[in-house]
Amino acid sequence: MMVPLWLDVLDDTIRACAAQSRADLVHQLQHKRAQLLDPKLRVLVVGEAGQGKSQLINAMLNAPICAVGDDSTTSVPSVIQHADTPCAALVTGPTAVPDRDVAATERVAVPIEQLASGVSGAGKYHRAEIGIPRELLTAGLVLIDTPGLDAGWANGGGLDAAWVGHTDAVLLVSDANRQLSDVELAFLAYAIRTCPHVIVALNKTDIAPQWRKVAEENRERLADAGIPATVIPVSATLRLLAARTNNRKLNTESGFPDLIARLQHDLRTKSESLAPHTARTIAGTVVEQLCVPLRARRFALDGALVSNAASDLSEAQRQLDDLRRLSSRWQNSLADRISDLSSDIEHDLRDRTRKIMRRVDEVFDSADPGAVWDTFQPWLEENLLEAAEANYGWLVERSHWIAEKIAASFPGYRESVIPESAFRIEHDVFETVADLEKPNIGRFTFSQKVYTGLRGSYGGVVMFGLATSLAGLPLINFVSLGAGALFGGKSLKDEGESRLLRRQSLAKAAVQRHVEDFFISFSKDCKDVIRQVQRKLRDHFSAMAEDLQESILESARTAKQAADRDLTERDRHDRELQRELEDLRRLHDRANALAVVPAPAAKAVAA
Amino acid sequence: MTGTRLESQVWALLNEAHDLYRDSPRASRWLEHHVERFEEPLRIAVAGPAQVGKSTLINAIVGEGVAPVEVDGAKDAFVWYQDGAVPRAALHSAHESVTDLAVTRLDRWLHVDPPPGTPEDLNEIVVDWPTRTLRHTILIDTPAVGVSATATPTGQSIMDRVAREADAVLYLARRAPGTELNALRIIPETPVSRAAPVHTMVVLSRADEIGGGRIDGLLAAKQLARRHRRDVRMRALCLNVVAVAGLLAEAGRTIREPQYAALANLAAIDRGELDELLLSTDRFLGGADSVATLSVRQDLLNRLGIVGVRLATTLIRQGCGDVGSLASQLVRRSGLAELRESIRQLFVERRGLLKARSALLALEFVLRAEPRPGSDRLMAELDHTVAGAHEFRELRLMAALRSGRTRLPAALEAEAQRLIGMEGTDVSTRLAADEQATGAQLWTLGAQALDRWLEHAENPLFNHAQQGAARTVVRSCEGMLAELAG
Repeated sequence: MMVPLWLDVLDDTIRACAAQSRADLVHQLQHKRAQLLDPKLRVLVVGEAGQGKSQLINAMLNAPICAVGDDSTTSVPSVIQHADTPCAALVTGPTAVPDRDVAATERVAVPIEQLASGVSGAGKYHRAEIGIPRELLTAGLVLIDTPGLDAGWANGGGLDAAWVGHTDAVLLVSDANRQLSDVELAFLAYAIRTCPHVIVALNKTDIAPQWRKVAEENRERLADAGIPATVIPVSATLRLLAARTNNRKLNTESGFPDLIARLQHDLRTKSESLAPHTARTIAGTVVEQLCVPLRARRFALDGALVSNAASDLSEAQRQLDDLRRLSSRWQNSLADRISDLSSDIEHDLRDRTRKIMRRVDEVFDSADPGAVWDTFQPWLEENLLEAAEANYGWLVERSHWIAEKIAASFPGYRESVIPESAFRIEHDVFETVADLEKPNIGRFTFSQKVYTGLRGSYGGVVMFGLATSLAGLPLINFVSLGAGALFGGKSLKDEGESRLLRRQSLAKAAVQRHVEDFFISFSKDCKDVIRQVQRKLRDHFSAMAEDLQESILESARTAKQAADRDLTERDRHDRELQRELEDLRRLHDRANALAVVPAPAAKAVAA
Repeated sequence: MTGTRLESQVWALLNEAHDLYRDSPRASRWLEHHVERFEEPLRIAVAGPAQVGKSTLINAIVGEGVAPVEVDGAKDAFVWYQDGAVPRAALHSAHESVTDLAVTRLDRWLHVDPPPGTPEDLNEIVVDWPTRTLRHTILIDTPAVGVSATATPTGQSIMDRVAREADAVLYLARRAPGTELNALRIIPETPVSRAAPVHTMVVLSRADEIGGGRIDGLLAAKQLARRHRRDVRMRALCLNVVAVAGLLAEAGRTIREPQYAALANLAAIDRGELDELLLSTDRFLGGADSVATLSVRQDLLNRLGIVGVRLATTLIRQGCGDVGSLASQLVRRSGLAELRESIRQLFVERRGLLKARSALLALEFVLRAEPRPGSDRLMAELDHTVAGAHEFRELRLMAALRSGRTRLPAALEAEAQRLIGMEGTDVSTRLAADEQATGAQLWTLGAQALDRWLEHAENPLFNHAQQGAARTVVRSCEGMLAELAG
């Protein structure tokens, strides 16, 4: 036997689902496939509460199987099919709907009459399974009675939507007294996506005076909503009465023959008409479902213009530019800062030596260099050393600061960026400066003092001797001798003072020379050091800039490669998605092309 | 009793607010409107989904075919029915009004011819109709409320408008509970409206269709309504659930001699033959002309429905010998009497309270919409009134007892509900006394009840909520005694 076309399409759809790793859809479709191959026709009888669903089933089978009441009565779905002897069971399963893969866990056989009076402990059981011997059912018709669509609020257990996937046809029962409600339309719109065979039974035509008008309006509303449903007006009450009184005419009036004929037709032509139709719809729905994520992914691909690799590449280029700008900047900055430093350091040294000189002047204004020289010389050396150290310390500090400043402008800044060797001074500063020589200041010797004293006293003796000789006194007398002594003492004192002054100025000059020598020599050293620092820093930072540039170039290269790879990958992915979509589209077209034998239009019911 | 005090408090608040908002034209127009409304008869809106029988119920309550009113180009208009000296109508749109129009009766409903130039977007049609039943109430017929699971914007706005315009609501539904009641669940969250669902009654309006048109379907519907009344979920939505067969009620109120004669003719034919004829609407209309002409049968079907015809012929067979007794039987069986009694007890007798509630809602709206210096104080006073008024306390207790939030021992709960006025607010109803009971007897009953509940209020076995409930009952008893003494 040839495999029907629809089965092919369905199998392809299942494969497509598996390819997209949609295990849920695969499961659902396999279930549906098995169901479509099964000759039985499962009809889900649904509707809002109190429309007479259970009554309709009872009337169709002419047996009080389902509980009927004024309020919302049906609390568990009942599956009604053929059996040789009447039997009933309440079933609790791991899933609410029967599933061929999962065995029911609990089955409680109950007398069939008990079900008709309502299931107690409704929350406990998932469904009832009823078998009765009826000619209508022998061919394989299975009716499923359900709680009301809106019963969820009332009983805490409304219709489980999974039931829709479990049926071949949906029979919506609606009251002929009113138009289809929004809830009913919404449910049908949902149901036709997986179960396109929909029949609307307008119940209670016996008490609805306007049922023809309502039926017409309903047909229009269904057509507007795009729901291909057949509307069949029926009256369960009349059918039951007809069965009781065996009244053929009344039976015809009840509209049930049409409904039953329709169901039997669907059952007979299930493999030719209903199955392809369902397969077509469900394949269409599923393919659309599958297309959504694919399209979204393609869209995402298009949208992701800048991939990671590409953004890496542009980042690397940006870094390179930054570095180029930076290199001219840091060199200028280094030169500027170094010249600043050198002038600052020189000025500082000058300041410090001048301070020392001032102090030296103060000391030698009062003290006798001859007397203090021995203590003075170490003091001076110490002070000069101190000044040099302070000055040098500052130099080092400033250099570090400069190095840090420049290093900070580099992207990859590290703490230990300045080589310590830059600050090494090759030789001892003070070795280049000659020792401070004691100036030749001479001594005021005793013979010089005697000579000076005699030279001074001579004038006094002669002056006062001549004056007193007038008074008859000899030239040398006690007066003239006294005056000579006075004069001698004075000249001795004067001579001593002038010699001190000379000595002091000699000492000052000597110290000044020394300090000047020191300054020249030390500042030369400092300048050397600064130049050395400058060279070292320049070398260091140049090397560092080169390293950086090298690493950036390297990353740019890899980024470029990655971007190229990405682009090809993306193209490949895009082509793949396109191919998959194309496959799905072909599948969709094939599904649509399935030859569907149209269901016979319901015969107009004789008034 | 305190009713007058609450009313005077609300009245004072309204006037104070009017002074405060003197310079705001919008607010003061709104407040003036509500000051006027405070004095008007109670407004009861009839709302519900499409084809649920809103107009039929209005006709049944009024006792004449007044609804629907046919005005060209008025789809979403609210139709007001109020008492007036002569039949006339006024049309209002958002901007314009046309008044003093003639109302003509066409077949079974009213027709108003809008003069040329009438705006298209009519939102209110006010019909004056001379009838005694509208003396204390204004009925408002409303457009259909959407029933979809998520209320449509229009459905919501209709319920919003209903909440704004009406003091009380009759919400019609075919079945309860169900999706048709979704619109009721949209409750605005304000202190006043949160107090309790005191202004809503659910009407199962097509009770004759329950049970597939069985002749005892009406009884089943009444039992159903009783069951829903006890359902906690329904209690949270409404004060009461009543089943009414709107078509039968309307027919009972409007049936005249010709229809009676036709029905009597029908009832006179052979039982079996009649049953055959009444099996379905098709059979009834398709029957032979020998008993009644097609137009007569069509008229009967339109008026009564097939269930109504079945019931009426059965009643005539059982001995309703004239149009009056048939009419009264139809009305009795339709459940209209219970509905009217319920309206009287729960709405009309609580007129002051419902009016105060509407006024407080309006006031709250203004105070929230246009805050200004001084409105804080008024808001505080409003809260104080809402919290302090004993009527509201009674209503809150009523809602708590209804919804099961507060539970009392069964015997006590029934008495508590009666004493706080759940069955009616007049003293004799509250005390379950005979209608002929004298003042002294009432006094004794009241004093006894007070003593009993004083004890309950001190009952150490009661929890806090239960003691609070008992204290509210005590306060109600004291109020009754004060009323009897005054």
